[in-house]
Amino acid sequence: MLRKLFLTLVMLALVSAFAVSAQDEAQYAGLDMDLSGINIKMANIGGGQYEVMYDAISIFEEATGATVEIVALLDGFSMDQKLKVDFATGAADYDVAWDHTSFVAQYTPFLLPLQDYFSEDELAPFSPAILDAATIDGNLYLIPRHADVSPIHYRKDLYEDEAIAAAYMDATGEALTVPTTLEQIDRQARFFVENGHSTLGYTLAGKEEALTGRFYEMHFASGGSLFDENYEPAFNDEIGVAVAELLASWYADGVIPSDTTSLLWDGVAQYFCNNDVAIKLEWYGWYAYFQDADSCAVAGNFGLARGFTGLSVGGDAVRPSGWAGAHAFSVPATAPNPQAGVQLIKFLSSERVAYEEALLGFLPTRGDVWDRVIADASDAENPLDRERLELARIQVGEDFKTPPLIAEWIPFSNIFYPHLQAIILGDVGAQEGLDAAAAETREMMADAGYY
Amino acid sequence: MVANSNSPLGKGAAARLVEVSRIEAGFFPFALILPAVILILLVVGFPLLYSLYVSFTPYELLKPNSLNFTVARALRNYQKLLNDDIFWRSLLNTIVFLAVTVNLSYVLSMALSQLLARVTVGQSVLRTLLMVPMMFAPILVGMQFRWFFNANVGLVNNFLISVGLIQEQGQIAWLVDVPLGMITIIIASIWMNIPVMTIILLAGTLSLPTETFEAAEVDGASGWQKFRFITFPLLAPFSYIALTIMSLDIARAFDIVRIMTDGGPARRTEMLWTYITRLAIEDTKFGLGSAMSWITVFLSVLFTLYFFRQLVKARIVR
Amino acid sequence: MITRSVGPNRRRNDMIWNMVAWVVLLMLALPAFWIIITAFRPNIEINTFPPVWIPRRLTLEAYANMFGLNPDVQQRVAVEAYLRNSLLASGLSTVIAVSLGTLAGYAFARFRFRFHTTLFLGIMLSRAVPGVALSLPLFLLFNRVGLTNNVLGLAFVYVAVNIPFTAWLMDGFFRQIPTELTESAYIDGCGHWSAFWRIELPLSLPGLATAAIFAFLAAWNEFQIVSVLARNNAAKTFPPGLFAFTEQFTVDWRGMAAMSVIMMVPAVIFVILVQRNLVSGLTFGAVKG
Repeated sequence: MLRKLFLTLVMLALVSAFAVSAQDEAQYAGLDMDLSGINIKMANIGGGQYEVMYDAISIFEEATGATVEIVALLDGFSMDQKLKVDFATGAADYDVAWDHTSFVAQYTPFLLPLQDYFSEDELAPFSPAILDAATIDGNLYLIPRHADVSPIHYRKDLYEDEAIAAAYMDATGEALTVPTTLEQIDRQARFFVENGHSTLGYTLAGKEEALTGRFYEMHFASGGSLFDENYEPAFNDEIGVAVAELLASWYADGVIPSDTTSLLWDGVAQYFCNNDVAIKLEWYGWYAYFQDADSCAVAGNFGLARGFTGLSVGGDAVRPSGWAGAHAFSVPATAPNPQAGVQLIKFLSSERVAYEEALLGFLPTRGDVWDRVIADASDAENPLDRERLELARIQVGEDFKTPPLIAEWIPFSNIFYPHLQAIILGDVGAQEGLDAAAAETREMMADAGYY
Repeated sequence: MVANSNSPLGKGAAARLVEVSRIEAGFFPFALILPAVILILLVVGFPLLYSLYVSFTPYELLKPNSLNFTVARALRNYQKLLNDDIFWRSLLNTIVFLAVTVNLSYVLSMALSQLLARVTVGQSVLRTLLMVPMMFAPILVGMQFRWFFNANVGLVNNFLISVGLIQEQGQIAWLVDVPLGMITIIIASIWMNIPVMTIILLAGTLSLPTETFEAAEVDGASGWQKFRFITFPLLAPFSYIALTIMSLDIARAFDIVRIMTDGGPARRTEMLWTYITRLAIEDTKFGLGSAMSWITVFLSVLFTLYFFRQLVKARIVR
Repeated sequence: MITRSVGPNRRRNDMIWNMVAWVVLLMLALPAFWIIITAFRPNIEINTFPPVWIPRRLTLEAYANMFGLNPDVQQRVAVEAYLRNSLLASGLSTVIAVSLGTLAGYAFARFRFRFHTTLFLGIMLSRAVPGVALSLPLFLLFNRVGLTNNVLGLAFVYVAVNIPFTAWLMDGFFRQIPTELTESAYIDGCGHWSAFWRIELPLSLPGLATAAIFAFLAAWNEFQIVSVLARNNAAKTFPPGLFAFTEQFTVDWRGMAAMSVIMMVPAVIFVILVQRNLVSGLTFGAVKG
């Protein structure tokens, strides 16, 4: 009896301790060094959503005595081009550079390894999966800032209508539930379209790296791998063919839009926003847009679920989808003041700044920030706000999977996606198209010195 | 030269074309031309030679050491291109695009100029309307037509649905389907080319001698016969001016393709220009991109030279 | 050229020709009207189905968003930077290109010298080089001397690109001025330069205006070279700015239309200003005697 009481007390103490610490102010970091007189140059991603960060910088300047100069403000792809050019020409004279897990592999010869600048305690709060993606050949090249990954978005009205559910049961012999596998999505999406419940069954971006990434994701979820351990192309295997054939049949049968191959992120989001799409994978970042009733008919009419598992052709190897990436900071090898740059990164990725950014809707990369935003959302008006964060935390923690971290990712994508488009549009068969892409990829990888 | 009796364009002597006798002036004309030549050599000549050098190397921007010339590898980029199906496909697309665009632009501009020459009401307003496409940068032309031909919210599909020609589910994917993708790009390019060509042909038509037509009328020539045997041959120099100017600007079609389809989907509208951009800028393969650049330079210069020669010939016949 | 014998048949034909011409040209100009209207419509009317053809309401929202006057919208476009760079690169290059092109055009029109045809053809052919092909080596070379991302570097390129066409146009204009005028100036004791400067240049001012407008618009509209040379807003002009916008906000058609309208303003002004000169400039200037 006494023992039980004691345990209860301990539990209570632990819980209250946790509650107290959660109420504590989130802390800044990186302010403990005197950097008087140093001018830190930073090349960064631009856009209104990043204002919070710039407000915070003045706190850093006051505490350390350094001045921070923003030398470039560009969107992600322009930033990628700028970094490549600056690195190639030795013109990267800044101390902090924006970076991304999908791009970092191209830059590694030109970046400063960061593991010696950060203690284990300082790295502990960051999601291990993301730090893994930031580590190449044992060197840590970037410190993550915020992450993104895609859950299933589905239209609630389709799943709450008993008549539709009964008709689906009649047609397929299975209950209509929110899909968890790609095959379920296939059956349901077709059913919705064929019976006029939804204009479109599914959508996905259909060009550039966006298409390559979505294929990679479906292939991965079905147990496949784009490259084998020797970096030989492996996407033209049985699984790849099955995925490509699925996409082609969706296009031929009007499950996905007729202009799929012209669509990028905004285009596919627009279709879902208009309430025209039954099911789709979509980034968490679009949440606020979809919930805005002034611009989207789908507001209030959608739910979220964990990424699907892939096609059963993959057997036991199927796993949840989770194409993911993280925005991050790096220090160029040519930085004039690397230590000062590191201090600024410590500050910008600190619990406090990350928390303030997370309040804007970004997915955090730190466990402590996750705790805070989920606690904050517990009393949100819309229960989906909280569900979304809990789901996102699971996906970032367990399903987070970057594309292959090789410098050839974008060149590979440029070879691959036109072939996949040709398959989707019906210009070539799946096997033939993927084989051709594999041959070209192999040549490119050989040129790059892989074999 | 072209006789000119009653051109309404440049009333008076200023519009007369005269065969000039040129003056000997030693080095003075060279001094006048020198700055222009120096600048062109600096910005066009030297860079082109440099790009010829780069095209013989395996240079990739992210691998600074790859910019070195070895005799053994010198022709590798060109060999690669010749064995590259996509290169041949983009070359074929480019040739088809040029042939159709140039010919159709010319035919339509000729028709429009003959139409405008007969207009009696609101000539100046019509001429301003004619110049509207000139106010569009090529990149704007592309943006505009990409929107008009958008499958989901485009003007063209909306119109077809409104008048009941297609169903909402049957939206036509203009920029995707074969051969609609090529056709939409060609429509956009023709729209952009029409004003300058029409203006030149119209000015030419208005400057033709009235007497010839009166004589033909007396002989009972039909409208088509007058055009075929009088207007068209007399317009030859103007036609070649228009075609030469167009050939100088034809590469601007790149802007249109880039923004409308960027060569896609599945390389269905890939042209030399978009493929160069993909190779050199996106994949940072400057060596390979330069090799292909040189092929396009060669083709463009040939194209212009051809029309220029025709222009000179047409003048001599007069 | 078209004789008009008066008769009922002729008059009916005239009416038909006029109507056809009006219909065809209104259709040709229609896209421009559509772009302008779109820039001033509420977004909801643009993306809605079924389509709303006649605007019910006009608004300046798109411009408020673009210039950052709308606190709810965070999409900010660097229009001021594009405008500054476009004006600087186009203006500067036009002044220099027209000056140098006029000198060259005058030389070709007035004087006899060795390699006359070769030089003329060479200069013209330099213009036929596609911008894509030129942009790659220019980028590599400019990188070495720090001229990428630099408006002055861009203007420098545009000067060379614009000289050939200016020279061609001016050659034609000077050709129309009778040689006797020059020769009598020589008799009065003028040198080559002062004959050009005091007598022939003033006579060619309308041609100069036409050439200047062509040069300005060519630079204003240029995309291929600037999109490679300019990597950030320090040198980006309107065309790459618009392109970046369409890549970033792929379905914000109104935003694109609004930006297009700004970009079209100088073109509209110039085309209206020089309508008449444009016609004679293009034809007589271009026919080489």
